Amino acid sequence: MKSVIIGQYIPGKGLFYRLDPRTKIIAVLLIMIAVFLLESITHLLIGFGIAFMLLIIGRISVIKVIKGLKPIMILLIFTFIFQIILNREGEMIVNHEMYLTLYTALFLVLAFVVWRVLVKFTRFRFTMFFLFVAGVYLILRYVDFGYQLLSPFNFQVYEAGLRMSAFVVIRLLIIITLSTVLTLTTKPTNLTQGLEKLMHPLKKIGFNSEDFALIISISLRYIPTIFDEANKIMLAQASRGADFSEGKLKDKLKQVISLLVPMFIIAFMRSEELANAMESRNFVPGNKRTRINELIFSYRDVIATAFSVLVLALAIVLKVI
Amino acid sequence: MGIRFNQVSYEYPSFAEGLYSAIRNINLEITEKNEFIALVGHTGSGKSTLAKHMNALIFPTSGSLEIYGNIITAKRNRKVKYNSIRKKVGLVFQFPEYQLFEETVEKDIMFGPMNFKITQEEAKKKAKEALNLVGLDDSYLSRNPYNLSGGEKKRVSIAGILAMDPDILILDEPTSGLDPAGRRVLMNLFQDINKKTGKTIVIITHDMDLVYQYFNRVLVLNDGNLIFDGEPEKLFRSEDLIKYHLDYPNTIKVLSHLNKELHLNLNIYQKTLEEALEEIKRGGLL
Amino acid sequence: MSYIEIRDLDFSYNGKKKVLESINLQVEKGEWIACLGHNGSGKSTLAKALVGLLEPELGEIEIDGLLLTEETAYEIRKKIGIVFQNPDNQFVGVTVRDDIAFGMENLCVPREEMIEKIDFYAKKVNMLDFLDKEPTNLSGGQKQQVAIAGILAMQSEIIIFDEATSMLDPFSREELIKYIRTLHKEGLTIIMITHDINEALLADKILVLNKGKIEAFEETEKIMKKREVFVESRLELPIALDLANALESNGNATKIRKKLWEYALTK
Repeated sequence: MKSVIIGQYIPGKGLFYRLDPRTKIIAVLLIMIAVFLLESITHLLIGFGIAFMLLIIGRISVIKVIKGLKPIMILLIFTFIFQIILNREGEMIVNHEMYLTLYTALFLVLAFVVWRVLVKFTRFRFTMFFLFVAGVYLILRYVDFGYQLLSPFNFQVYEAGLRMSAFVVIRLLIIITLSTVLTLTTKPTNLTQGLEKLMHPLKKIGFNSEDFALIISISLRYIPTIFDEANKIMLAQASRGADFSEGKLKDKLKQVISLLVPMFIIAFMRSEELANAMESRNFVPGNKRTRINELIFSYRDVIATAFSVLVLALAIVLKVI
Repeated sequence: MGIRFNQVSYEYPSFAEGLYSAIRNINLEITEKNEFIALVGHTGSGKSTLAKHMNALIFPTSGSLEIYGNIITAKRNRKVKYNSIRKKVGLVFQFPEYQLFEETVEKDIMFGPMNFKITQEEAKKKAKEALNLVGLDDSYLSRNPYNLSGGEKKRVSIAGILAMDPDILILDEPTSGLDPAGRRVLMNLFQDINKKTGKTIVIITHDMDLVYQYFNRVLVLNDGNLIFDGEPEKLFRSEDLIKYHLDYPNTIKVLSHLNKELHLNLNIYQKTLEEALEEIKRGGLL
Repeated sequence: MSYIEIRDLDFSYNGKKKVLESINLQVEKGEWIACLGHNGSGKSTLAKALVGLLEPELGEIEIDGLLLTEETAYEIRKKIGIVFQNPDNQFVGVTVRDDIAFGMENLCVPREEMIEKIDFYAKKVNMLDFLDKEPTNLSGGQKQQVAIAGILAMQSEIIIFDEATSMLDPFSREELIKYIRTLHKEGLTIIMITHDINEALLADKILVLNKGKIEAFEETEKIMKKREVFVESRLELPIALDLANALESNGNATKIRKKLWEYALTK
């Protein structure tokens, strides 16, 4: 009864929804290559501006894209911090003396506790995280009294480090924004069909893209069913006293097995019946088939492809110059 | 004691219709001894949702229910031992495949009791007893549950719950997919367990013939509302079942057909074939 | 030569106990056959053998003059479709439209023709408004209706229902039976495997399987008079007929018997 959203697709109307999935895949690829070719930060910022403009043209809510960025945010932050700390080329632009005293440690623990508590009760987890990082910096920088646990050390930021970290982060941001646009506006089935058509030439080296796409689309179709079933199995075993929240490790292992074995066996029976149903409807792997869902390439796709080729060309020109 | 529903409603988010209400304002009491209750209603009427509340597998979104003195509300309460509720109220799911997982029948039946910290020997004893209670002999103990027939699997899955020795046993459509003979054997078995052990048994079913013949209390759900709670015969006399997508028992249908066609005056409320035959002989052959 | 001919069919899973034994059967075009039998009597095995999903140990199957072999299975499956028991395990498409199309795609039907046929057959099973729905939003009965449309769209002339109603509630069951009736009227050959005697009564002929062998295969009215066939095969007669059989035939009882028979056979 309940349905599960697969991928990030959100039904909508804007320009990108009407593009052929092949166009979108190719365009995202071309622009990604272009982004990797750019070498100056101004060019990258312009690229970021363009990506942002695309969002507005496609009438895609920026909030949804930011939500899509969330899982990758931690990675971005760590990349940023590591680049800043480890890269020691170019001019030194920041040189702060930092201390680690008994009081610093105390304050750090305090800051950590406050952060964890706040995270529990508020919804702005990322804001809280940023505040925590800033707090750690301020504590290390200014709490200089008390027993010294370590001799003072220097927090140094070099010009190249700052430039490189900004570079990497903007690059990642552009790429993630683009791929989010792709998954946000393309149904998973259309995405697989697009991939299928694009990979069709691989048939020469023995890769059957049609069978591959069928496998993907059947898996997508059965994800909600299997999810539902897992839930029922869990309830059935809970009815037999399997409490998945408590218990010793040994009991837990048994409980997990009591979940996995029925899931596998049912999936196995299901696949057998499904194979029978497909065979009885004359499905033969590798045979030629016609398709009900044809991809249609329209003038919009021509424009979009031309645009992405232009972006790539521009990037190449900038690189050569 | 037993189970008491107090204005219980359960809603869940559905992508199609926003909040979907599975059951609404249910008031209901099930005692712990000697009851034999049928739970009927068409697909989507909330039968399974209601059953899952009875052993605290899901919690009401509003209202409360009391299960053996434990108060269950929307919020999880740390003081309530949910697991111990499931020992008192056993729920058997429709498909045995959902729960069978061990390599032997014995081990599988032991899984339930073992979750309640008893010794291996005790669990073994309970497994054997439960298996005999569902009408299978000891030779099944060492068999692989996946090599059994559909009916046998069903019995083993029921034994798996019975081994925990619950006071109340709830079964979700235990007779579906069985042939008529298998269906009757299983129903007789439930009746037997009910009589022998005094356990209260609640059975979800679609089969009105069974409801009429076997049960003395029937609960009818329609679109999440409990619209009837009482004797089956009273239900067939008073309510328009067709309105709720439910059918009448065959004896009633056949006898009322005779009344209509031959202008007879038979008492149509006969539970069994024999009773119906007597009634025809009494009222039709004059 | 009959439309469907089964000659001396034997079948067993990996050479163990015989699931089907010396099955001989003739079905004429346009007939509606109901197949009854206890759990494990071999009903579903027979259905699978008919569409070539299982290879018989001995004997042959001929459909519309074509002998079923590995080479002809593809041709035979164009003529014969099967609706399975579990509605969830035969829904291949991501949407109703995709699922109805699946068989036609395999037959390389041109896209324009597919679109026309999908609309036509979806309308036939009352699923036209659901074409873009995903299976999670459909009831079991609706999924079975989609399966029928998918088979009809392949221009099959024989449909096997392998306990197709057994996982449905009584209401959806009746709905599905309505569609089967219509298909029968339109001249399709129907083989319906079922546990429900009241469903079986709708058929022209009833085949009773018992432990892998044919216990009886006769016109519905004739077989219903043979109570011993049902007792022998662990099956139950409908209650109206049990009553009729228990009444003597004199005076008023004859009248009542006649009415009971009418009731049982005209539902």
